Amino acid sequence: MSNNILSVKNLEKTYANGVQALKGVSFDVKKGEFLVIIGLSGSGKSTLLRCLNRLHEPTGGEILFHGKNTAHIKGSEVRNLRSKIAMIFQHFNLVDRHTVMSNVMMGSLHSTGTFQSLLGLFSDKAKEQALKYLKLVGIADKANYRASQLSGGQKQRVAIARALAQHPEVLLADEPVASLDPATCHTVMDYLEKVNKELGITIVCNLHFLSLVRRYATRVIALKGGQVIYDGEPKNIDNAWFEKIYGEGAKEVHIN
Amino acid sequence: MLWGNSMKENVKARFFDVTSIGYIFMMLIVAIVQPGEDVLLDLGQNSLVALLCFVVALVLVVMLEKAKVKTLGRLIFEPAHKKAQGQKKGMLQSFWGAQLSVFFLITLIASLIVTEFSFYELSSQKGFEGAKRIFSAMFTPNLSILPQGVLAIVQTIFMAFLATAIAVPVSFILSFLCASNIMNKSAMGVIVYTVLRIIMNVTRSIEPLIWAIIFSVWVGIGPFAGMLALMIHTVASLTKQYSEQIECVEDGPVEGIQSTGANALQVIWFAIVPQIVLPFISFTIFRWDINVRMATIIGLVGGGGIGTMLMNYQGQALWHEVGTLGLLIIAVVWAMDVASAQIREALK
Ligand SMILES: Nc1ncnc2c1ncn2[C@@H]1O[C@H](COP(=O)(O)OP(=O)(O)OP(=O)(O)O)[C@@H](O)[C@H]1O
Ligand SMILES: [Mg+2]
Repeated sequence: MSNNILSVKNLEKTYANGVQALKGVSFDVKKGEFLVIIGLSGSGKSTLLRCLNRLHEPTGGEILFHGKNTAHIKGSEVRNLRSKIAMIFQHFNLVDRHTVMSNVMMGSLHSTGTFQSLLGLFSDKAKEQALKYLKLVGIADKANYRASQLSGGQKQRVAIARALAQHPEVLLADEPVASLDPATCHTVMDYLEKVNKELGITIVCNLHFLSLVRRYATRVIALKGGQVIYDGEPKNIDNAWFEKIYGEGAKEVHIN
Repeated sequence: MLWGNSMKENVKARFFDVTSIGYIFMMLIVAIVQPGEDVLLDLGQNSLVALLCFVVALVLVVMLEKAKVKTLGRLIFEPAHKKAQGQKKGMLQSFWGAQLSVFFLITLIASLIVTEFSFYELSSQKGFEGAKRIFSAMFTPNLSILPQGVLAIVQTIFMAFLATAIAVPVSFILSFLCASNIMNKSAMGVIVYTVLRIIMNVTRSIEPLIWAIIFSVWVGIGPFAGMLALMIHTVASLTKQYSEQIECVEDGPVEGIQSTGANALQVIWFAIVPQIVLPFISFTIFRWDINVRMATIIGLVGGGGIGTMLMNYQGQALWHEVGTLGLLIIAVVWAMDVASAQIREALK
């Protein structure tokens, strides 16, 4: 129990329109893991991540973060949770009209007072940290560019820097490379690996390509129809498992 | 949820059909009976007839519904998922076409009668001469009143500016309270949203001209009354435009900022405001432009500025002077229009 940073028990999520996206999902996330979640489109991967940082409220089950159930917390407790469990998205979700630097500073909104932040009065320490994280993802030279001027891969690196500026314990990544070309894909994944190994931040990442899974994951969970059907090491996913996860006749696409 | 929605659409469709078909019945009765004025003024009896028409229409609509006939109302208010399915063609399916044509034709005939439309009047020799006299007077302006005219139009422009300037911050704050995507998070929010929306809609549906009359009683005739009238109308209009803009911001940045643990105000400021500044500026400039035009009209009822001056000369049938002011107004409105269009284009 002690080295489980997150523990998901029988998690259920039914949307208001009646779609049952998660039907009793259980698994643990160990501290320092690079956990990858795979599964067909619509299997509930995004829903799962969004329950973990409470962008969605689960309709059943428990999520224990450091042993405390976060499934139904409200208000400032949710914001505290989100500041510790950062998230990056497939479409980056940066604020396009702001500069790269300003986008990264937004990671420290939670630790800055409302009034100061609205006036743009971030502490020197926050600025220093923002620059540090921009350097870490190798994009400090673009600090004063507008986010809209960056390429997809660069945007995702800025998103990672913004997430790091929150000083999170966990980083959720919802298909972080799904809209990037293969080469850029690896760059971004390499930075995630660096964040995981150097900063010791636990990563939970949705991915589509098995070759990336084998390369980066320390553990894999496969979802199908809102249920966990595989939980184990990436190297044990053979052809039989592959067909089980993605359906018969599916072919693995390689990306190098 | 889904069921609730299609239910609502159903009621709307039925309401639309009953009103439009009942109206057609009523107009047919009027055409057949050819009532005189005393009959038309008998409100009690006419309401009864109208009610009867609507009841018959309701029965008809329910029957049509049973027969699965596609009426105009059903066509318009069909739920989106049904629209997507596409539809089979057939005799019964084109009922809505007939409904629309009859509705349009009857209304066209009725309005021609009501407006006393007459080519004879339009082309009568005497009337035509009169118009010609006024036009030729207008195109030989009396330039000696130009300085006064310029002063008056400057007053009008400032009046419009002040009304806009006061309205902007008020509308800015109100627009968030009137945006459903911000307010639908809590029951309290929905109440505030609904009440404000109703107030704004009522305010906006009262023309500035009416507001000007109200305020000229309140604070006395003059530019101040005109400015207040414009301001009230501007608050209501800008709030609507602003809040619609807020309602269609992209979710991505909002989720991005939310997931950093930011609070609601921070999310609004950092994720929503950057997406709406440009459209807001563009709406505001356009509103000022509209307000200059409206301020002129408001002046006609004593709201001050160029409109009041124009009204004075018109009352005395001084057409050369009216022409001068007319040209001045055209010049200023045109300049504002071009300038605001250019700026808005550049901001896109
Ligand atoms: N906000 C929502 N409201 C209603 N239903 C939703 C919502 N979000 C997702 N769903 C539904 O929940 C199910 C799971 O969706 P989810 O986005 O979690 O899948 P996913 O595994 O992330 O798929 P993808 O690989 O396409 O991103 C789908 O059937 C989807 O239609
Ligand atoms: Mg997804």
